[in-house]
Amino acid sequence: MKRIITLLAALLTLFSISRAQQPSGQQPLKIYGQLLSNQRILTKNWNWAWNENRLDLKLEKKVAQNSKFYSEIWLRNIGLPQYYSLSELYNKNITDPWNLEIRQAYVSVFGLLNGKLDLTVGKQIMSWGTADKFNPTNNLNPYDYEDVLDFGRKRGVLAAKADFYINSDNYIEAVFMPFFKPIGMPVGVFANAFNSQSLTLPDNVSLHSSTDSVIEPSYSFKNSFSAGIRFKGFLANFDYSLSYVYGYDYMPTQKTSDIFLSVRSLNPLTFNADINTDLNFYRQHIIGADFAGNIGNVGVWGEAALFIAAKDVDWTITSYYPAFLGGQTSTKDSVLFAKNKPYIKYVLGADYTFGNGIYVNAQFIHGFLHERWQGQLNDYLVVRAEKSFFNDKLKISPVTGMIMIADWNDVKNNYAWAYFPQITYKPTDNIEFTMAGGLFDGKGSGLFNNLKDYKMLIFSVKYNF
Amino acid sequence: MKTKALTLIMTLSLLFGLNLKAQTGQQILNKVDRVTTQANDVYQKLKITLIDKHGRRQERIAELWQKGSNKRLFRFISPAAYRGIGILSLPNNVMYLYMPAYGRVRRIASSIKNQKFAGTDLSYSDMEAKKYSERYTAKLIKSDDHYYWLQATPKDKKSTYSKVILKVKKSDYTPVYAEFYDKGGHKIKTMSTQFVKNGKYWTAKKITVKDLKTQHATIMTTLQVKYDQGLSDNIFTTRNLQNF
Repeated sequence: MKRIITLLAALLTLFSISRAQQPSGQQPLKIYGQLLSNQRILTKNWNWAWNENRLDLKLEKKVAQNSKFYSEIWLRNIGLPQYYSLSELYNKNITDPWNLEIRQAYVSVFGLLNGKLDLTVGKQIMSWGTADKFNPTNNLNPYDYEDVLDFGRKRGVLAAKADFYINSDNYIEAVFMPFFKPIGMPVGVFANAFNSQSLTLPDNVSLHSSTDSVIEPSYSFKNSFSAGIRFKGFLANFDYSLSYVYGYDYMPTQKTSDIFLSVRSLNPLTFNADINTDLNFYRQHIIGADFAGNIGNVGVWGEAALFIAAKDVDWTITSYYPAFLGGQTSTKDSVLFAKNKPYIKYVLGADYTFGNGIYVNAQFIHGFLHERWQGQLNDYLVVRAEKSFFNDKLKISPVTGMIMIADWNDVKNNYAWAYFPQITYKPTDNIEFTMAGGLFDGKGSGLFNNLKDYKMLIFSVKYNF
Repeated sequence: MKTKALTLIMTLSLLFGLNLKAQTGQQILNKVDRVTTQANDVYQKLKITLIDKHGRRQERIAELWQKGSNKRLFRFISPAAYRGIGILSLPNNVMYLYMPAYGRVRRIASSIKNQKFAGTDLSYSDMEAKKYSERYTAKLIKSDDHYYWLQATPKDKKSTYSKVILKVKKSDYTPVYAEFYDKGGHKIKTMSTQFVKNGKYWTAKKITVKDLKTQHATIMTTLQVKYDQGLSDNIFTTRNLQNF
């Protein structure tokens, strides 16, 4: 609580100083943002599943006509507090958990080199690609999967970005990021949403314990940087871009697993398994392309990215048997994820607004946000249909969701769907109430099948100031 | 001599009168375009007031830059929920929308152009930088002492309007009133415009758009206007749309 008060005091002081020291002609520091409250309840047992109260503060100041400071700060109370002893009730961090996150903080200078160059330095979120929320070419920032239903949310990274404008239609963007930053994993009820590549144990082996170590790239210049370049142009009434990124797969990948087997019973012979896994992050080259335009009155877009691992990515599994069984005491197995196996993720989409005001947006996605590697990308059809009433005060999205097919040869056993009907009401311009559903089902594996026990109702309020 | 002069004056008057009568609707519409897009460029600060059928009001402030007759950038300044939302209209039906929440510029499908823009009674098409004569073919249906009445038919077959009746002031060719009809021939929207002269240009000081079905109205008032500032082409770029 003290920290919150300190932060708010600092912000107010900054605001006051900015106002007081305002030289004529300069704009004052602008503070604006949003207050969000988001609650979700599970329909199977009416247990609360999500509690997020967020103050999204944006600070902006134009220092001169051609430069700008911008910062976005989240001050959040997130999670459902759990306390187990009397002493914990004395601890506000447990009874009222909150966190502070500087999402972005950067300075931009516009119009250098005769107006052709814009420079942005600082913690920032870059948005590449033309598709709607699912952008395979947008690989500079790691994903923030904390709330898996907030599709496409990214984590800010320290970067230097230069945009060189050849003319009004064409420009080149170059980005350099000195430090490595991994993805943010899902939290709360979504913690197991990514049932990623896991070991399948034989029937007579039971998992006794499992530990893991994540090996991050060293903070040397060579090992921690990522960089990207993009050319964006306009041709034949279509926007397009070509891009290249030399970076990391920000999601950790298993490198080695040691399985230590111990005998649990002799008749029948069964084992306990203690597994230690090391995970690391591998470098990759990503070549991307996208387009957006109109065909007739229909908006169309497409985006594709080719992912090539910079070197072999394999997972070595070593099993250690008790010595008394005789024979060899260890065996090695190796799973090759990406060696010589580049893979392509792509999105094709279209949107159309009917004469009666119904807006339909559909996208075909090969490879969801978190999916990777050849042969492991699923196909998704994402559809959103909505209509606004009373001059945008009420918006109903009855058909919003997605269908996933994991195996086209056995669709009946390898599919999933997610359905997100939503009603939004804005009594005034600044307040927005939303009631939505999150329903998931299917067969086989995959993100939405992992969530099928978490069908939920979602309530949120947003206030913009 | 006197008779000759009188004859000449009468002939000229007749010719002038015939010429007036001979003006087609399209010619009048072209003159409307000349009056409304006369300036090389214009900057306007606008107050947009939305009034629902119960009389409840909401206000928004926006800025608009236009260059020639086919480049326009429109951006909300307030309220907070709309701050930074902008539309860039370029030649060849190219329109971009910038939503700060998404942090990226998006192309707008032309199918959206008949829909209402950001809760106002104006459509995306109304936000487009396009001359009347590019949007409509017009015929003169009535003329009285002060006004021409034109029936304007949308060139775009997919327009939600079947026709627009346009009332044009004879003295200066300002379009002071318009009625919009749907495909069923029902009057669905009206637009009244008050023009004032700023130097050599006519400025739409106040535009009132009424949706007759919902009884919702949008009043757009010009708070500030600047003409011929030599606006750079760089203003009308996606780069500027997102760097507000």
